Amino acid sequence: MLQRPRFQIAAKALILLTLALFLYTRLADGTLFFYINQRFMAYTVLAIVGLVAVAISYRAATGSADGATHSHHAVTWGGLALVLLPVMLGVLVPPQPLGAAAIENRELAVSAQPHNVLPAAVRAAAQKDAIDRNLLDWFNAFSASSNAAQEFAGQPVDVIGFVYHDERLAADEVLVSRFIVSCCVADANVVTMVVRQPDAATLEDDAWVQVQGVLEPGEFNGAPLPVVAAQSITPMAMPDQPYLYP
Amino acid sequence: MTVERPDAAADVAASPLPNPRARWLRWVLTTLLALAALTAIFYDAFVNGDGLPYLYQRVQTFVTIFLGIFIEAAPFLLAGALVSGLIAVFVDQSAIDRYLPKAALPGALIGGVMGVAFPVCECGVVPVVRRLYEKGLPLSIGIAFLLAAPVVNPVVILSTYSAFGWGPIFVGRIVFSFLIAVVVGLIFSRAKPEEVLLPAVSQAHHDACCHVHDHDHHEHAPAPLGRRFAQAFALAGDDFLDMARYLIAGSMLAAAMQTLVPQSALLAVGQGPVISVAVLQALAFVLSVCSTVDAFLALAFAGAFTTGAVIAFLVFGPMVDIKSSLMFLGVFQRRAVAYLIVLPLVLSLLMGVWWNLNLGW
Repeated sequence: MLQRPRFQIAAKALILLTLALFLYTRLADGTLFFYINQRFMAYTVLAIVGLVAVAISYRAATGSADGATHSHHAVTWGGLALVLLPVMLGVLVPPQPLGAAAIENRELAVSAQPHNVLPAAVRAAAQKDAIDRNLLDWFNAFSASSNAAQEFAGQPVDVIGFVYHDERLAADEVLVSRFIVSCCVADANVVTMVVRQPDAATLEDDAWVQVQGVLEPGEFNGAPLPVVAAQSITPMAMPDQPYLYP
Repeated sequence: MTVERPDAAADVAASPLPNPRARWLRWVLTTLLALAALTAIFYDAFVNGDGLPYLYQRVQTFVTIFLGIFIEAAPFLLAGALVSGLIAVFVDQSAIDRYLPKAALPGALIGGVMGVAFPVCECGVVPVVRRLYEKGLPLSIGIAFLLAAPVVNPVVILSTYSAFGWGPIFVGRIVFSFLIAVVVGLIFSRAKPEEVLLPAVSQAHHDACCHVHDHDHHEHAPAPLGRRFAQAFALAGDDFLDMARYLIAGSMLAAAMQTLVPQSALLAVGQGPVISVAVLQALAFVLSVCSTVDAFLALAFAGAFTTGAVIAFLVFGPMVDIKSSLMFLGVFQRRAVAYLIVLPLVLSLLMGVWWNLNLGW
């Protein structure tokens, strides 16, 4: 039955519409930003429009008597299943942004060499007041400094991120991090700050928190760097956009 | 179809699955790879982790990365498919004969810069190349276009410039991407299309390039414009669905690698003029990041790795990565795909090592 042309065309159009609908639901409930940089949202909108247009044109192209549109590539059941796989996985596994589980596989960036960050990003970070800087701004500011641990000591910090316990930390320390996504989550990197508080151990991995405190010299993994002496760690809901964009 | 040859249509109707064994084998291979990835995830969870919750988080990470790559790439694949559909309906085969050189070297050189006119990334370029082959494009032009277009195009040139500025990495990336694409195109110009292209593509290619085909124009009166657009869109839908299978299989593999292989394991392997190049090539292959943003990613490695290695990352990654090499399977025969992976790999490795040894860090 699958080889009958009319059925083929209907199946193809249906799959394209399903994909479009899937993308639309992710766009509508905001979970699209769990997957890609906000900047690319317009492309997703265009893709939805394009998929619907293509699905509809199957009908227009084959509506007349000759039915001339032929495919080089007949659809098979395996092919259909594979194309619907993103939708199936997306429906079966509830959408969730990258979190503590994904950190384990990545390099933790507490600071970088000065020539590894965009000069423009460093300037942007430097222009912000300390209290307005997010984790990425702090990362850029630390990276541009040759002696960050001393230079930034005493500055106030107010950042949000999720909690991750790293083995290399002391008992009263925790990492508060965010993922940086330039394009999609495949290129995600972590920026992180070491946060010090006596009851840090009670915080759960992946919990979102707002950290307020003051920078003081410290170290991570043997390298000196500023750490946050927390005055308050307030639990909060995950922000609408869990990632930061460079 | 106004411009498709009627006998090609008859061929397809007679054998809807050309070479069913190869097709079957490809599916088995894909399934096996997916199974292997799943097994590795389970093994990882129960031997290295702490059971079910850990496994669940891993699966969630895997799904997020997989959907990330797919959602990011789908619009670009659709754009490529639409260009391909429009070419199928509106570009005359004789235009390719008339305006593009037949000889290998000028052909490869033209193919290397065609990306400036068709700014497509590595997902969109594949259906466009397949369609152009069906229109009789010479092999060398298509290969050079396929490999060079993801880098030698305005968008990527701009993003590389904004990440690295004017300097050796910026110039090296563009020049070497172009050179390697041209060299691989030249190598392929010695092959026969039927050895390289999949049977369906090669049949259409043969009909287009090697027959007298001016009677094509007189067979039908051209269909009304609206209907031709509808045909172009329907062909784009076929192309999208066909290529999406490879994109999805490739995104799954790439996501599995990212979930299972710690980046630190790769990055810790090493320095040195040769190893560093190979490590970043492996990373580029595994990450399967879109060529428009990989420059920003490479920035993070710029200090820790040799310059030759960073350029190899930026040259090799856009040409070949997990998802694009799977998509090549929709156009080329398996042996040709192997060449398409190995030749850029070896050439960009040589380029990176040469850079490290002769131009220093």
